[in-house]
Amino acid sequence: MAAGKGRRSKSALSDRGRRGQGRSKRQGDQLPQKVTGKVRQTTETSPEVWRGTISFSLVAIPVRLVEAISPGRVSFHLLHRKDYSPLVSRMLCPNEGKIVPSEEIIRGYEYKPGKYIPVSAAELESVSPERSRTIEVTDFVSVGDVDSVYFDYQYYLVPMKGGEKPYRLLVEVLKRTAKAGVASLVLAEREYPVLIRSKDGLLAVNTLHYASEIVPPKGLADAETRGQGEAEKERMKQTIRKMVARFDPEKYADQRREKIVALLKRKIKGKSLVQAPEAEEVEGKAPSDLADLLETSMRKREKSA
Amino acid sequence: MSAKPDVRVRSGPAGNGRTQRSTVARVGGVELTLTNLDKELYPGYGFTKARLLDYYRRISRSILPHLRDRALTLKRFPDGTGGPFFFEKRCPPARPGWVPIASVPRIGGESTTACLVNDLRTLIWVENLASIELHVPLARARSSHTPDAVVFDLDPGDGAGIADCCRVALIIREMLVRLRVSCWAKTSGMKGLHVLVPLNREGVTFERARDFSKAVALLVQRNHPELVTTLLAKPERTGKVFINWAQNSSTKTMVAVYSLRAREAPVVSFPATWSEVEDGADGRAKLTILHSDALRRVEKSGDLFSEVLARRQTLPIL
Repeated sequence: MAAGKGRRSKSALSDRGRRGQGRSKRQGDQLPQKVTGKVRQTTETSPEVWRGTISFSLVAIPVRLVEAISPGRVSFHLLHRKDYSPLVSRMLCPNEGKIVPSEEIIRGYEYKPGKYIPVSAAELESVSPERSRTIEVTDFVSVGDVDSVYFDYQYYLVPMKGGEKPYRLLVEVLKRTAKAGVASLVLAEREYPVLIRSKDGLLAVNTLHYASEIVPPKGLADAETRGQGEAEKERMKQTIRKMVARFDPEKYADQRREKIVALLKRKIKGKSLVQAPEAEEVEGKAPSDLADLLETSMRKREKSA
Repeated sequence: MSAKPDVRVRSGPAGNGRTQRSTVARVGGVELTLTNLDKELYPGYGFTKARLLDYYRRISRSILPHLRDRALTLKRFPDGTGGPFFFEKRCPPARPGWVPIASVPRIGGESTTACLVNDLRTLIWVENLASIELHVPLARARSSHTPDAVVFDLDPGDGAGIADCCRVALIIREMLVRLRVSCWAKTSGMKGLHVLVPLNREGVTFERARDFSKAVALLVQRNHPELVTTLLAKPERTGKVFINWAQNSSTKTMVAVYSLRAREAPVVSFPATWSEVEDGADGRAKLTILHSDALRRVEKSGDLFSEVLARRQTLPIL
């Protein structure tokens, strides 16, 4: 699973929400269920992202990392208008005008317009961090010291068997001291600095942005405060005071989503459903017999070795 | 004739550009998506996931009767034997509808859904999850309190080895022969041996099986204190063979016969004939059965452990 960054790089065509990806590809008639589903609460049912140990000094707590955020995005498939076949995306080579098979696709970094440095998967792997089974806390900082601009994506840590007691203890102590642990976590081949906080009786993990990713605010707006009269300041203070409220996240519903869900519900009632033609094998090739297939795979491997 | 496999590449769940190669295979009347067939599972041994699937496909006729109707515990190695592993008692929820399952009671009152590996397609599906090792209980899911066999799990402590295990196995066998019960041995695939006394009848509880194995174990320990211990404590086990009679429990699982083990090399838990055990006791046989040896022997002689499922025996009162 990706933390924050992976999400953004996805193209609109594959915009199916992070959760859909790991699951079955054919969804067909699941629409009503999906549509009526409320935003899921994070409990044991929340998907596990990672498991390992959180450690510092002599403390080691076995934990599972679960999602704290479940984007309630309604996702659509792209269909062929003629027969409602779900469409697939393919890579096209504009030079040959042909679809490029995956084994012919490599990565390149554009260092000058039209000039590329090819980078192989092995090379990328060689610079990826080692997968790690521990979250090693290196420092404890005051929660208030971390500016919200650094917060990227949130997970929860859930204790595993044998870890309940030290887990509770850490939750309690972090809460009382208003401290948070700083550590690093490797997820999906990227290393993230993380902050481990006490939150509603759980440990919350926030992946943080690197300092180098933060756009310096300096110079974006004129910082001059001269020429503003006390009266003006007082008037604005008054206005703000009148509008002071308690922050209530429930108040800010995703209206577009709600409207889409309502629209879909109406359409289901009105039975305006369409069906894709019985899916043949996606690539039109018959699947091979297991024995043949394994044989081919092993032979290919021997040749390349 | 081998058709060119239909290979697709799709982006990994992270959407991070890492790709997972998947291939659709036809097995047992269904189409199964197999992933990462080229992945190295025994690093440095050239043993890929395709080889893993091929091993279990070719051993299936022998292993399936021993897995049948038993709640499977998967021991998964997503990155091969060099990487982290995890046990999975629950049948992964993202399973095809045709995977046989059973509800298995667990300690604490709740129940778990477990996979039953009753056919080739389920076996291949489970192996596609990189469950290199297959562990099962002594009882079938439907009669989860009735073991089909009593086991003596022989585990060498530091400074002891397979030869010592063989010696202990022969002592146990001799004692059981005098009690007029037959037993069969298999290698654990690691350093130990499992001696099984088939029962295959109703009415024998785990408690009864445990009492029997404990009585035999204590007797062997008394007669051979230099060779055997029944104590769990590690220091007590140095230079000795630990007879783990507590394995006779409805909550315990053991590696299934013919299952691969996650070591440096693809070694199998494999039936050992008594003459092999004798050779092992003298140090003339190492009793390390590689996947290729296992396949060769099974292709020649079939399931060497079929009697363990067939022989009906009654435990003598001790």
